[in-house]
Amino acid sequence: MKKILVFLTLVLSQLQAWAEARFPKPDFTSGYQYPDIQHPVPYEQFWNGLDVVLLVAMMSVVAWATHKKQSRKAIFGVSVFSVLYFGFYRNGCVCSLGSVQNVVLALTDHTYHLPLYVLLIFLLPVIFTFLFGRVFCAGVCPLGALQELVNVKNFRINKAVTSALSIIPWIYLAFAMLYAATRSQFIICRLDPFIGIFRLGGDIGLITFGVILLLISVFVGRPFCQFLCPYGALLSVFGSVSVKKMEVTHKGCIDCKLCHHCCPVDALRPPYANQVKEDRLKGVKRLLMYFIMLPLLTLAGALFVGSNSQALSRAHKDVHLYDLIQLQEANPDMDPILEVTAFNEMGRTMEELEAQVQEVQQKFRIYGYLAGALIGFVLGFKLIRLSVKRTRKTYEIDHAACVACGKCFDYCPQNLKKNQ
Amino acid sequence: MAEDKNIKKSPMSRREFLRKCGSALAGGSILATGGVLATKAKGSSSDLFWQIDPTMCTQCGRCETECVLPVSAVKCFHANKVCGYCDLCGGYYRPSVKDLNTAAENLMCPTGAITRKFVEEPYFEYTIDENLCNGCGKCVKGCTSFGNGSLFLQIQQDLCLNCNECKISRVCVSGAIQRVPYEAAYKLKDHA
Repeated sequence: MKKILVFLTLVLSQLQAWAEARFPKPDFTSGYQYPDIQHPVPYEQFWNGLDVVLLVAMMSVVAWATHKKQSRKAIFGVSVFSVLYFGFYRNGCVCSLGSVQNVVLALTDHTYHLPLYVLLIFLLPVIFTFLFGRVFCAGVCPLGALQELVNVKNFRINKAVTSALSIIPWIYLAFAMLYAATRSQFIICRLDPFIGIFRLGGDIGLITFGVILLLISVFVGRPFCQFLCPYGALLSVFGSVSVKKMEVTHKGCIDCKLCHHCCPVDALRPPYANQVKEDRLKGVKRLLMYFIMLPLLTLAGALFVGSNSQALSRAHKDVHLYDLIQLQEANPDMDPILEVTAFNEMGRTMEELEAQVQEVQQKFRIYGYLAGALIGFVLGFKLIRLSVKRTRKTYEIDHAACVACGKCFDYCPQNLKKNQ
Repeated sequence: MAEDKNIKKSPMSRREFLRKCGSALAGGSILATGGVLATKAKGSSSDLFWQIDPTMCTQCGRCETECVLPVSAVKCFHANKVCGYCDLCGGYYRPSVKDLNTAAENLMCPTGAITRKFVEEPYFEYTIDENLCNGCGKCVKGCTSFGNGSLFLQIQQDLCLNCNECKISRVCVSGAIQRVPYEAAYKLKDHA
């Protein structure tokens, strides 16, 4: 059973005359007693507490395995446990990916009460990433763990393609935050491709998408984590500036390339020693140009999304309802729309709705500018990072991309030497 | 050689400085966000569970089909203390019923989840079998239009997966599905 059932006994109190009662309350003469109806109440507190404890414990295990032990075995164990427990047993809600939206909503809307448990689910992986790198992604996240477990071989994708695709998580994150801040939809939850697999049922389109992603991840490591995950995008920022940084080996790189070949997310960057050096002036000029472009791209992004906020606001229920009412009024002959009928039955007035719609559109305008600015800024920042002069002399981990899966540990011959 | 060293040394120290700045910024932002949110976060009293407000529900029928579960977590609940215990029940029989018997064409519930028991002349006690109920809301509509409105749709908490965003709430025509705190785990009709 998912939840332990505790039965709530309803207190049989003297009933006041029901306002709507068309038929009088029966006068029983046979001594009939009203049945004692019980409804099972949720027992989530226990499970939520356990989730948080397990989250910390699993991230600690991965941090120990990546920094101290340098072994993949423990990380693999955590992955299997995560898929079974967080995935198939707990059915994946609330997860850290989705909690971004709750947090954004809590920051922008004071009427929303953020549960403490959701705050911890959001904040703990960020803190661990800041301290030890992306240990949450390694195997604690059931979505990453599931892709990791089916991964067999890694075909390298062209760096230009992966760089271009890596902007998608940021666009996804920006829109998720926009829709969460305006209380429209939680698109990260809605479009989660693996939830249907964990729950063994759900939207057929999304399950198909999830299966396709899993088939891709047999040959390309973690396509969802690399090119879609919005929380991974956030964690990559904290991973790149983490306090303690993971190393493939503590015994010194011998440039054997083996770690580069085994890495599922292409996070091991080759040394630049043998590359043809670019003319310094040319490089500096390009970098300067990108620095000038950064504010321009930010502005352009803000203007682009901000000017389209009207169209985006259709995702909000009230705006959608307003559109439906307009549609119904324009075509009186069409079948009555359920939403419009409910609107009329509830006695809401058109002026009230119009005021609400305007408020929503105003919010969409403000947060649309911010979301667009974020996308533009990330685009500019990625261009700058791509054109910064490299100084690598050995194979090094790109800590923003590295998901701490630990595959490279077993491949590194230096680590083998240590064990013997 | 000396020139070579200079070129190598200067970008490294700058990078080191920028990286330190980044770490400080990231650490600071965690503390700031955590601090702000910690003041807003509520413990067990926060709104975590999904419930239907029975006064807003219009029985549109979407609860039956939109839930992520194969059989909806929305079930029909019965408030006995609101019920009139009628023989001709708007939730039990179809509106056009001629003979008050249990022939399938006379009954409202498509899954046979409503059973009734004779109490005394002329009263009948109605009971919902939650294992059979699919949350279609046909009986609720019948009871609301011809009856006391003692039947109502509600989300059964032991079945509900407690999705971060309830899929039914997204399509609910009247916005009746809302988050409630633990203390209000059930919005019932007979003890308000």
